[in-house]
Amino acid sequence: MFALSFSRLLLQALPKQPVTPRATAQCIRSLTSQQEPLKKGDMPIKMENPYKTPPKTCILCNITVDFKNVQLLSQFISPHTGRIYGRHITGLCGRKQKEVSKAIKKARSMGFMSVTLKDPQFIKDPDICGIKHFE
Amino acid sequence: MPRYELCVILKAMQRPETAAVLRRTVETLLERGAVVRSLESLGERRLPYKISKHDSRHTHGGYFSVDFHASPKIVSELLDHLERDIDVLRPTLLKKDPELSQAQCCGAQKKKSKY
Repeated sequence: MFALSFSRLLLQALPKQPVTPRATAQCIRSLTSQQEPLKKGDMPIKMENPYKTPPKTCILCNITVDFKNVQLLSQFISPHTGRIYGRHITGLCGRKQKEVSKAIKKARSMGFMSVTLKDPQFIKDPDICGIKHFE
Repeated sequence: MPRYELCVILKAMQRPETAAVLRRTVETLLERGAVVRSLESLGERRLPYKISKHDSRHTHGGYFSVDFHASPKIVSELLDHLERDIDVLRPTLLKKDPELSQAQCCGAQKKKSKY
């Protein structure tokens, strides 16, 4: 082991011999063509990545959830039973799901929202959760 | 002084009577040293479920919201007073939390398709 490392040290210490490039076809092509002088203003301009994907947000990002906003809260409950949909159905982030859940329970106890059903005037609202109901 | 919100559901009554109830509610608040910020009407609508209060079953009610600043000592007395009022169906007193900073909302969860 010691002998190996010693030999490696020797190799590093010795000056490296210049390696003559082998003349292949591609090499000859580059040698014969005239090289353009390097332009000073040709360096890449530093800029923000223009192909950056927008940050992933849930649908309620930057929207305040209020217990008085019964229409918004009704979009996250089942139209048949009035039960609150889980996180895997609504697709909300942890914080917003908790806020919505708390707001629905608050609204129910304060007499703003029904417990067992969805208000009939809100049944025709667009479907956010994308849940397929048994027809 | 902490900021409170009183969301009250009143019995479905004619306009002068509703005005009288609101007037005496706000006067009770002012008597106990509250600073009323605003009084909003959230409309008269059909209740989500029938509420039985003061020996009668109600289906319609007027929703009102009072925003005020008050000392925490009057909270229990106020709720007691409102419970005794015959025209008030459901009084709810909430503390208004200061607005949470709009921190970055974390990325959405992966939605599993439901069969």
